[in-house]
Amino acid sequence: MRASALISPRQTIRYGFAVGKVRVLETRAFGRATYERLLDAPTFAEQKRILSESPYGRYIEGTETPEDVERGLGEALDAFYGFLDESELPKPVVRFFRVRYDFANLKAALKARVVGVPVTSMLVGLGTLPAEEFLGHPTDLPEPFGSLAAGVEFSERDEGGVEGLAGIDMTVDRAMFAELKKCARTSRSEFLEGLARLYVDVANAKTLVRMRLKGASVTELPDVLVDGGSLTAKDVAELYYGSAADLAARLGSLTQLRGINVAEMADPSRLDVVADNVVVAYLRTARAVPVGPEPVIAYVLAREAEVMAVRVLLIGKLSGLDAGVLRARLRDLYE
Amino acid sequence: MKETLLGMTGTDWALLGGAMAAILGGIGSSIGITAAAGTVSGIVSEDSEKFGKLLPITAMPGTQGFYGFIAGILVLILFGVLGGKMDLPLAAGFKVFIACQPVGWVCMVSGIYQGITGASAAGIVAKRSEDAGKALIFPALVETYAVLSLIITVLMMISLQSAYMK
Repeated sequence: MRASALISPRQTIRYGFAVGKVRVLETRAFGRATYERLLDAPTFAEQKRILSESPYGRYIEGTETPEDVERGLGEALDAFYGFLDESELPKPVVRFFRVRYDFANLKAALKARVVGVPVTSMLVGLGTLPAEEFLGHPTDLPEPFGSLAAGVEFSERDEGGVEGLAGIDMTVDRAMFAELKKCARTSRSEFLEGLARLYVDVANAKTLVRMRLKGASVTELPDVLVDGGSLTAKDVAELYYGSAADLAARLGSLTQLRGINVAEMADPSRLDVVADNVVVAYLRTARAVPVGPEPVIAYVLAREAEVMAVRVLLIGKLSGLDAGVLRARLRDLYE
Repeated sequence: MKETLLGMTGTDWALLGGAMAAILGGIGSSIGITAAAGTVSGIVSEDSEKFGKLLPITAMPGTQGFYGFIAGILVLILFGVLGGKMDLPLAAGFKVFIACQPVGWVCMVSGIYQGITGASAAGIVAKRSEDAGKALIFPALVETYAVLSLIITVLMMISLQSAYMK
């Protein structure tokens, strides 16, 4: 945190209104009691009734299928991202949130071409580019997506065929983390820079545990680890020995992943949730900032996590999943 | 021939001191109120019932402007300027100028920071209306130093009046 961020009246005046709104809106975020009610609701209709008076009410009203729920919650998320624009946050900050969806759409477009299926139903309209732009040839996309797509396609041809969907994931993820880092640096928000580094650290930690559980060799690590975190990919790779539990314990001892649940980290079914909880813990530090972009960013990220949790609960209920299974998939809350 | 310093007579220096106190206090208050009002407006835009509880927090940085105003008025009254007396000795006028500095500068800085503190404290009211009283204490702590600076300025001016305005 820059000292100037704490004492600058300019920050207070620029972000004061947005932070004031956030302070009230935070009180309306879902707490444990709401999640418990949604978990215990006997039917999807009852869940909709519980949500009817929340900000999700109008987006969920009339939904019947998982696709409807996805679409409705996507619109709710879009509205939360709209708050970033209303708050007059710097453009790189808004891009930081939205560009991730461009990369997700790019991944979908590239994979759809590999598998030979239409991409239409896989696209989300939350990015900086309209989803329709991803319907054409990926290399025709504006920069940096066009050249990234060309690079992926070129490497596939070079290797004499499809290397695999995982290869697309890795290439696009690397480019995404680099773009997030660039946005964070341009925004001059130390909070966002820390978040960009944490995303990479968490991604690398998850990759290491998964590779260990798969029994992969250490020689495979350079291809799958990403640079740009608090630790270099080389430093992270040096932790790769012993059992998955030992590896989790070593990762948990890193300052960057402080607070991670080591016991659950070696459990593949809990790994994503445990890793997301580290990000939630980081968001809580934004509360210490009285006025600035940080509380607004943290609020929008918290709402993003809330949308994910609501999606798990609604689609889980529609799919007939047990409340215990759904509870295990819920992240920690930004309370 | 009147004595001057930098081309200014004693009365000029005294007036400059009084003007500075009023200007700096006013600047501090304006910025402080703007800083607090932004956050408070954001809160009220979502929950208008909190307006009454947040108004004192927003208004509090306004006191610094009054302190500067009081210092300016005291210069005019205590040294006879209001009565048209324009012959204050240079030494006296310069000392009056110096006496005005504490309230001017402290009020400017404390007004700004009281606004920032108020903006943060408003967050407490946003979360729990019943804690409005507690929230008011933090910006009030900043007020202490503005009051102390006013006291010093007033005491210095009273001393100068006793010494020069017999």
